[in-house]
Amino acid sequence: MIPLDPGTRAMVDEVRELGRTYMRPMGLESDRTGDPPPADHPFYLLCSRRGGLVSRVIGEGDGETPESLQWKPLRALLQAEESAYWDRGVALSLPGPGLGGAALRSLATPEQRERFLAPFADHSRAHWGAMALTEPGAGSDVARIQTRAKRDGADWVLSGAKMFCSNGARADWVVVWATVDPALGRDGHRAFVVERGSPGFELLKIEHKMGSRGYETASFALDGVRVPGASLLGGEEAARGRKGFRGAMATFNLTRPLHAAQGIGMGRAAHDHALAFVRAEYPAHGARRRRALERLAEIRRGLATARLICMHAVWLARRQRDNALEASHAKLFAPPMVFRAVAAALDIVGEAGVREDAHLEKLYRDVKILDIGEGTQQVQRLVIARQLLGLPREE
Amino acid sequence: MVRRQRRGRLRNHARAYDPAPVTEFAHPEELEQLRAEAARFAAAELAPAARASERNGAWPDHALAVLSKFGLGELDLAEELGGVGAGALAKALLLEALAAGDAGGLPAADPLGPEAGALALCPDRSRARELAALALAGEARSALLVADPDGAGPERLVWAPSRPPLRFVWRSLGPELALFELAAPVEPVRALAFHAAGGVSAPLRGARLVGEWRLPTPESVALRGRARLWSAAVALGVAQAAFDATVAYARERIVFGKPVAHHQGNAFELAVAATNLHGARLLVHDAASSFDRGEAHAGFWASQAWLGAIDAAVVVTDLGVQLLGGHGFLVDHLAEKRFREVRMLALLAGGRDAAEADVADLVLDVPDPLFAGGSAAP
Repeated sequence: MIPLDPGTRAMVDEVRELGRTYMRPMGLESDRTGDPPPADHPFYLLCSRRGGLVSRVIGEGDGETPESLQWKPLRALLQAEESAYWDRGVALSLPGPGLGGAALRSLATPEQRERFLAPFADHSRAHWGAMALTEPGAGSDVARIQTRAKRDGADWVLSGAKMFCSNGARADWVVVWATVDPALGRDGHRAFVVERGSPGFELLKIEHKMGSRGYETASFALDGVRVPGASLLGGEEAARGRKGFRGAMATFNLTRPLHAAQGIGMGRAAHDHALAFVRAEYPAHGARRRRALERLAEIRRGLATARLICMHAVWLARRQRDNALEASHAKLFAPPMVFRAVAAALDIVGEAGVREDAHLEKLYRDVKILDIGEGTQQVQRLVIARQLLGLPREE
Repeated sequence: MVRRQRRGRLRNHARAYDPAPVTEFAHPEELEQLRAEAARFAAAELAPAARASERNGAWPDHALAVLSKFGLGELDLAEELGGVGAGALAKALLLEALAAGDAGGLPAADPLGPEAGALALCPDRSRARELAALALAGEARSALLVADPDGAGPERLVWAPSRPPLRFVWRSLGPELALFELAAPVEPVRALAFHAAGGVSAPLRGARLVGEWRLPTPESVALRGRARLWSAAVALGVAQAAFDATVAYARERIVFGKPVAHHQGNAFELAVAATNLHGARLLVHDAASSFDRGEAHAGFWASQAWLGAIDAAVVVTDLGVQLLGGHGFLVDHLAEKRFREVRMLALLAGGRDAAEADVADLVLDVPDPLFAGGSAAP
């Protein structure tokens, strides 16, 4: 047993209970209907009333004592892992500022933080924030975004299209990335907080996906959306210091290990299904059982390795050390390993695993997006190769 | 004098050592110092002499004299057995650092290498003390034979280093542990790698049975796991050296207008190899700490770590030959030596099949270290 502090242990237990009671059933329901749970689902209100998924998690404004510095990043990882164990889609749909919040924390002025994060202290209803970076023509290569930001007096006017915006349709605001001039590449990037209901900010559709259906994946059109100058994240000064693009990348260094940890949770879910099947259905001896046990052991090895890589990456970050390489190691290692783990679990369970009520077939569909979102494994290979091999960028 | 001071420091470390939980990745200062000194020694003394050592069948005397200051054999051995008791993590870090310079003579230089687990777990403590003393004095060594419970494979120790002289064989067969004293003289053999450690082979037929014991399964896996941990640490060191050398070459050598490393097909393979090596290292260090924390399933995790480390190291050392092209096949470079060493490490202590059998035997009983009992789904 890894000795966890009582607070972390209590948090894990709480997530487990909420996962079992709400998240797994909600995820199965979303998978059946194809639609994410409605924004007014009682579970979201319950989460909001607690100030997050669980009481006293890694909330905003916690004091940073040596104790909390030691445990907070671990709690974030364990929360990601355990909630994804029950349903990764629903875990992503939980109220909170989301990726937009991470961008705010790394870029925003104190006034902007106060203005946009204060609503999350209102626990009477659920609030969401979101981030819109990906476009139909710019996914992994975020430098190619085409959404334009033009100055008009004290305001900015945004025009373009965004997709893969998680929780975008129910968010109070969306951090939208745009360029003042595509010829400037990354130097031209700016991030704006666009509030829901802004004229011209039009929801095109909620995408239908192969899996991970428990959260909204929204596509937007921005048709001359006017935002005040005060909504440019970090103000002009930050933009001139080229903080814009770096802000986006810093966001991902924080979230890649968490993304990988979600994969560990899903792999563990697949493992537990296969384990239960072996216990119930396999005779005590025989070649097939032996093969199944070897496969289970291989899954365990992959999950344990991924967990260590993730923990190491956040451990570095919390010590203010550069973790870009280690965060990419986590994101490169975990998703393909988890994909193989779910496939191996299916091999153990055999044909019984492909029935729709078997959950394993859902995991097989759910897990694939992990290797795509927040930087595909190909992008991670590029990032690692640039660091270790001096691979030049091809602009 | 230096040696005594170091032993004192490491002993103090051993007494104050509170093995870190998995959430802490910084090694204690004494261990970092040990690792750094070993790395400097390996780079300065072992690496330049690697080929000469292979030819001579031994590391140079002056290198062995310096190496004795590191207390390689005593480091992880309990004080009860005449060791320093600095723990399995300390030993793994030292082996890794030395192997990065040259692994060729390591099995001989470490008189109690993969057998440390048998000494630690043998129920006959006076016998264990006797064998430890003989090995540390350089008079006689033991070797570990991991036998197949179904009787596959020859009843002989196929390879052991030739120094100190081989006199005892531990046979680990499922939960059974037996100790034999060899009767016939051992036969010299030349194996795939580790030529600087010499090489002997010995049949068990005719050997005198000294003792026989039955251990609980987790303990017998811990005994074999300790041997695998030794081999995993050496594999990590060899693989890291291979990776560094490959990258250095592949960034310099130009093919089709750009460095070998900058062709995306190669760059991607190296990136994945680096990630897997990083993960394997974390797993090996964690398994070593698991022994130091006295955890019941340390053997399971050490066997898992060995499987991970060997997988990663085989790929890295293969890339090491492949990306050097024809040069990789020549003995002018160390790539082919590292390629052979890792393959041999993958075969010792019962090899892959024995390790997979051990982890499969225990997988239903070992709880997830973070979520004991699992999340009790589905």
